[in-house]
Order: sequence, then structure tokens, then C-alpha cells
Amino acid sequence: MPGGGGPPARPGWREWLDVRLGLEPLRRLAEHKEVPAHRHTFWYYWGGMTLFLFGVQVATGILLLLYYRASADEAYESVRFLMTQVSFGWLIRSIHSWSANLMIGAALIHMFSVFLLKAYRGPREVTWLSGMVLLGLALAFGFSGYLLPWNELAFFATKVGTDIVGDLPLVGRFLLRFLRGGDQITGGTLTRFFGVHVAILPAIATVILGVHLYLVQRHGMSVPPGVEAAGPARRMRFVPNFLMRDMVGWLAALGVLALLSALFPWELGVKADPYAPAPAGIRPEWYFVWMFQTLKLLPSHVGPLEGELVGILGIGAAGLVWTLAPFLDDAEGRGPRARLWSMLGALAVVYVTLMTVLSYAWGGNP
Amino acid sequence: MKPARALAGAAVLGAWVALALGVGPVRGQAPATDSCLECHSQLDEERLVKPTRNFAADVHAQHRLGCAGCHGGDPKDMDVTAMDPGKGFRGVPGYEQIAEFCARCHADAELMKRYNPQPYIFSMAEFRTSVHCKKIAEGDKKVATCTNCHGVHPILSRKDPKSPVYKANVPSTCARCHNADYMKGRKVRTDQYALYRRSVHGKALLEKGDVSAPACNSCHGNHGAVPPNTQNISLVCGNCHGREGELFAASRVRDALELAGKRGCVTCHGNHDVQVPTDEMVSTRPPGLCGQCHWPNSPGDKATALIVPGFHGLKSGIAEAESLLRLAEEKGMETASGRELLKQASDQLVSVRAVLHSFDRVQIMTVLNEGAGLASQAARQGRAALLDWRNRRIGMALSLVVILALMGLLIARIRRMERGAAPAPEGGAPQARG
Amino acid sequence: MKRRDFLGWMTRLAGTTLGAFVLYPVLRFLVPPRIPEAVTRRVAAARKDELKPGSFKTFPFGSQPGILIRTSDGRYRAFSAVCTHLACTVQYRAADQVIWCACHNGIYDLEGRNVSGPPPRPLDRYEVHEVGGDVVVEKPKGA
Repeated sequence: MPGGGGPPARPGWREWLDVRLGLEPLRRLAEHKEVPAHRHTFWYYWGGMTLFLFGVQVATGILLLLYYRASADEAYESVRFLMTQVSFGWLIRSIHSWSANLMIGAALIHMFSVFLLKAYRGPREVTWLSGMVLLGLALAFGFSGYLLPWNELAFFATKVGTDIVGDLPLVGRFLLRFLRGGDQITGGTLTRFFGVHVAILPAIATVILGVHLYLVQRHGMSVPPGVEAAGPARRMRFVPNFLMRDMVGWLAALGVLALLSALFPWELGVKADPYAPAPAGIRPEWYFVWMFQTLKLLPSHVGPLEGELVGILGIGAAGLVWTLAPFLDDAEGRGPRARLWSMLGALAVVYVTLMTVLSYAWGGNP
Repeated sequence: MKPARALAGAAVLGAWVALALGVGPVRGQAPATDSCLECHSQLDEERLVKPTRNFAADVHAQHRLGCAGCHGGDPKDMDVTAMDPGKGFRGVPGYEQIAEFCARCHADAELMKRYNPQPYIFSMAEFRTSVHCKKIAEGDKKVATCTNCHGVHPILSRKDPKSPVYKANVPSTCARCHNADYMKGRKVRTDQYALYRRSVHGKALLEKGDVSAPACNSCHGNHGAVPPNTQNISLVCGNCHGREGELFAASRVRDALELAGKRGCVTCHGNHDVQVPTDEMVSTRPPGLCGQCHWPNSPGDKATALIVPGFHGLKSGIAEAESLLRLAEEKGMETASGRELLKQASDQLVSVRAVLHSFDRVQIMTVLNEGAGLASQAARQGRAALLDWRNRRIGMALSLVVILALMGLLIARIRRMERGAAPAPEGGAPQARG
Repeated sequence: MKRRDFLGWMTRLAGTTLGAFVLYPVLRFLVPPRIPEAVTRRVAAARKDELKPGSFKTFPFGSQPGILIRTSDGRYRAFSAVCTHLACTVQYRAADQVIWCACHNGIYDLEGRNVSGPPPRPLDRYEVHEVGGDVVVEKPKGA
């Protein structure tokens, strides 16, 4: 805003935009938005980190779209072309693959920290629900994108994953055919996954993300119960203090991506051959591994039901309970029920971590 | 006991005894009654019983030809009169008559076609060209005729692995006679079998069981067995080694070797103990073989002086490209296009070993140069990949420096901002000043 | 204060440099590479009168060898020269009018069908077009 006396000789571009777009409320929000500053503020950064990495995905994904071809005959070759002939193609692709993993990692840290700090308490229940939908979308992004290079590992990982979907009661068979575009994984599956990955999921994610971010602005950052009890927290300004700290984190993430892409470029693999036998040690991406390992550890039958089915239903039920936590936990986040839910949260973190580590330690063989 | 009952009992007993004695149709053989087998199998003299043993395995029996099919006579006659020459009985042929005995059917195309639409028709005329037949005509009884190789009673099909003329058994069958003991007193070489077993062909056939490898008959012929003469040798080898054979046949060396009384391919490769050829063979100095004919400073020597370095140059070019590409791969770089070029260069190396047989400097050098070009292109790709790898790390290091610097500057700014607890102006474009 | 200005200036410099480090690869990425296509679909295999009738030529088709045959009636046929047995490079025997693999005596007829020896599958067939002064070999549609 201009200081000093008298109207300015010419309106600046900010004023020009403001009159036309009505940016004044946004500017006020940015100037006045404050964030609680306490010992758990560190966890506040993880939502923004996830958003940043999602932005990296969108940018690199759009660039990859310029060279990728989504047919079974050409997908692998186009990725190979990208990795070897296109300037910095290896970099864009490696960043896209690594950032996908980092984004899901950040999303999981974000979710678990929100859970353990009980940020899902009212009035933030819908924020939590939209966040769970976003997590589901992120996993769907990961699953659909993984198939696109059409290499051996991706092909068989997709086969195993969709096979498990097929085991669901009643809807399993239909869902399997819906996902695969048929009974087997073919070029039709690739096209379908591509459409889902670059159009359907981005459209849905944009809407849900918009809702999620709007709600976060509306309700502001939640203060954990322990901190609340100690009295009103210190606050820091969002712009510039919190945002600059955010940027330090994003720069660190960028550095990590540069490091990973240069030192561990993403592999091309071997072109998928539907008629070849599955190689040993097929495993889905790490964020699905804990479910995979759980299913592997279950006995072949539990009572009258197949072990795998029990596993799928069990994981599903657990997920449902997790999602309903805001409605099941204590409204204030205090008392024995709250402690129970904190313990459940901690147990979940331990379980998921343990299952993931075990799967890699055992090399896929329980 | 009533007489009727006694009679019935005796009949039953008699039938039982007859069956026990093996009178009646003998076990599922064709033809239904073969008196020859029946009688001969029950005789005392071993010489007469032996042919009946295992007769069902005989290839003739499997085509429903019993003893009479070859020896004539009447197999339905249960008496000695079955062997009546009037009934066509031919008896056992004399040694020198065996070939014509078998040829009676096997050289008859019409007859053979009844058993197989695409039969092998034996040719007496061909057999007569063989050393074996010539020796038999001279009265030599220690020489092979049909039954020595094909066996007799039972004669097994050559497709049967137990047959002496099954591909993998042929060398040992020939070696039954072609060895030092049997051939004592004759002026023939007896080391062929030992040499063959050491050879690449012998190892392929006898150790690896590869029946596409040549046995004795593949080169010497079956029934017209002769040692091949000079011109024939390259034709024989060229049957399988097509490209080398064609090139050699068109080369000047073939004629030169013939004039010199040498024996074609054998001159350099040997015959019975052919080994896998090595690149060291190409040189006028030992262990090279070109020096057998090409003296120092001859045009041939000058040609090898050009070819040999080109050859080794190609091999070292390929090795260099291979090590560069492998280094790049270990560092995680994509080397697919370099690998393709290297494969093409290696294909040229394989090719030049065949083209060598043209003994034409121009042809050989063309292939060598093409291969060397491809190898150096592959090496260039390898070097480019390694350079790329190095540049990536440099780029990464630089960008990390910038990122860390920026992070440090931001943190410093945050600290300064909050230490003063006074609102700090934003960085970036200066605000409109009033 | 000079120091504050200095730090601000450094920050701007570092930020701009980082921006360049991000923008440069993106811009280079957008410029298409020399070889515009990933998969080789057509190749000029020979000049128009390079092959006499009854002769053949192996030529590179992408990363694999192809074989172009001119039969005695003057017409062309083209196949993948990669033997379906163990990937040796095949050749044409004009005398027998067959395609032959020297490695293990595999034989294909002039339609590319495996007729004798170890090869388990026919050779991939390509289309041949005479375009201008060249004989062009192309992968058939849908291959």
C-alpha cells in the first residue's frame, strides 16, 4: 500500500489487479494469518511439504506427458527414449519417480502427526475426512503411475495388486475387470491407468485439495491438547515467518530430490512380457508393502474364510475405524478415551513401520 | 469213470500240455504263424536259436516281414519242408553275397515305397564305388558289409538309439574295425577314432549328444564310403559350414592348394581332430598356419601383415568399447544404443572369421574396417555416458551448493527478523515509496 | 544497514541462480532431440538397383538386423534377420531359395515360415516400398 500523502501519480499493477480480481481479502488473510508457535509446530510443516511435492509432481508430470506414449507397444520405448535421448529427460523422470515416493512419505507423516496431535477434533472433522480422501488419491496416483513405464516389475506388481482386489467378496470380480479393462492386464489396462493418472485423479484431487486448503484457512491450525492445557500459545505470523520456514523445508526437499536423482537415477527395468513367468520377489511399492506383508503372514484359512480375505477385510475395517477417529475419540482430546486413541495411533505407526521393515529384511520371503 | 468224461478230461489235459509247451501262435508277432521262429526258438544249437531272440525289435518285424521276408520259404509250413528252395527259400547268404541279398529289396524303389513314401533307396552301384565293396570283391572277408554296421537279428532302425548306426553310435561302430588291432598287417591309418573323439565334432556328438554334428558317414558317405579327395573336401565341409565353403570355393587358395596336392580345408583345420579354430591360426609365423605356404616377404605375407593387425585392432576395439560400456552401466547410466553398436561390431568380428576364407584382402579389410568403425562408435557412446555421469554429479553438487546457500540465507534472515522482534520488510521488489 | 542489504542481495542472487538451475533443464527438455521418435518403423534399406535379382542384403533396422531379399523375379521381400532360435543373423541362399541360419541349420521359406531345423517361429515380415531411388522397409501396421 502506498505511504505518504496524496494519491499516487499512477495506480500500481497491484491496485489494477485488485480492482479487477478482488484480491484484497486474500491479501488481508495473508497479512493477518497467524500460526501457533510451540514445541510441536515442527509438525505443521508437513502438510505444506506434501503440497510442495505434489506441485513438483504436477510440473514434472506435465513435462513427461510431452514424450510419453501410453500404448503397450510404445510405452517402454518412449520412457527409454526419454531417459537416453531427451535433454535432462533422465532428471525429469527420476525426479517424478522419487518425488512420488517422497510425497507419499510426507503425506503419511502429515497424517500420523495430525492423528497423534489430535488435530482432527471438531470443527476439523471434514478437514480430516478430506485429508483421508486425499491420501487415498495419492495412493491411487502411485498405483496407476507405477504401471506406466510398462516394465516387468510394474506389470507384475499391478497384476498382484489387482488380483488382491479381485478377492473382495461380491464386488471383487467386477472391480478387477473395471480396473484392468478386462480379465488380464493388457494394453487396455495401460490406457485406462493412464487416463486415470493424468485426467481423472488430477480433476478429483484438485477439487478435494481445494476443499482441504479452504478448510485449513477457515479453521486455522489446531493446537494439540497438551499445549492447550498450558495456556494460550505464542503465535507467529504466517507471512513471512512461517512461510519462510516452509521454504527452507521445501528447499531441503528440492536438494534431496536433486541428490537422489543424480546418485540413484530411476531404473528403466526390463520390458514387460505378459507370457514370461513372474520374476522372484515381486513386491508393490513400499507404501503398500505393510498390507502385502500382513497378507503374507496370515494363515491360508481363518475359520471358514480364506486368510487373504480376512486380511483384506481386516485392513479395510481398520482403515474405516481410523477414518472415523474424529467421531469416536473424545471431543476435547482429553481423558482415558483420548489416551486410548493416542495409543492406537502409536501402535498403528509401529505396526506399519514394522511390517514394512520386515518385508524388506526378509526379501519378500516370510 | 464214464468214457465220455475221461475223453473230455484227456482233451483238456492235452490242450493244457500243448499250451504249456508253447505250441500254437507265438506272442503277438506278425505274421500270425511263423514256423521259422517257432521251430528255431526250440532248437538246441545256439547258432540256430540266436536269430530268434528279440526278433520283435527288428525293424523288418515291425513292418510285418518275418524271417521269410528276407530268407524266403514258407512260414506257414510247420515242417522242415518250409525250407524248400522250391518254395523260395534262399537260406543264409555267403559273406560276399550279403550286399546283393539286402539290395534285393532295399534297391527296389517300388517295393520300398510300399513301406515309406519317401524311402532311402540303396544303390548297389554306389556301394561298388566304396573301398569296402572293392575289398569284398577281392575276397577280403575282414571288411564291412551290411550286417557288420547295421547289425543282424535284430536289425534296428537307425533312429533307434540302440542301433549301431544311430548317429551317436556311428563312430564307435566304425572303430570296431578301424583300430590298430583289427587292422594289423594293413597299410591304413588307425588313429581316426581317437582323433575324432578329441575333435570339436566328436565332443559335440559324443559328449553333448548333438546329433547335428557330423559322424564318420557325414563326411565319408554311408554306403559309398571313400576318403574324399581334395576338391570334395571343401564341398563336404561346406555342407554345414556353408558360408566358409562358398567363399573358399571362389578363392584362389582353393586352386593353389589343389595344385600343391594339399587337401583343401584339411590343410589348416585337420580332418579327424578338427578343433575350434583360434585367431592365432591367422599368421605367417608360428603358431599361425599361413606360413605353410607363404614365405616371408611374399605377396601373401604382405597381405597377412595387413590383415593380422586389422584383426587384432578390431578385437581390441571391441574390448575397449566393452569395458567403457560396462563401467558406464555400473555407474547406472543407460548404454542401450552403445550396446547395440557393440553387438554389430561383434557380429562383424564373427563374420570376418568366415570372410577370411575368401582369402581376398579387399573383402576381409572391408569387414574389418566396418567392424572397427562400429566398435569405435560404441566406445564413443561409452565415453559420452561416462562424461554424462560426471557432469550430472557436478550439476548436482552445484545445485546443492546453491540450495544450501539459499537455505542458510533464509535461516539467517528469519533469525534476524525474530531477534529484533520488529517487523522486517519483505525481500524482493521494493514497495512503491511514497 | 549495509549488512542487511548485502544479505538481501545475496538471497536474491541465490534465488535467481536456483531459478536458473530449475529453468534451464526444463527448457532444454522441451526442445526435441535430434532423433524425434522412439521406435524405428521404417528404414531405407538399399538403393533401387543395388541388389541384383537372386541376391540379398542385411541392413540395420533400428537396433536389430533386417534382411532384404531380391528374388529372381526382381521382387523384394524383407524380414527381421534375427533367427527365432537363438538370435543369430540369417542369410539368403539363392540356390535353394531359402533363408538359412548358419548357426544351427535353421531354414525358413520365402514367406518367412520356419520349415526346417530348430527355429520355433517364423521370421517377422516387413513391408517393402520402392520410394524414389530407395527401397524402403517398413514394419507393418499394428506390429
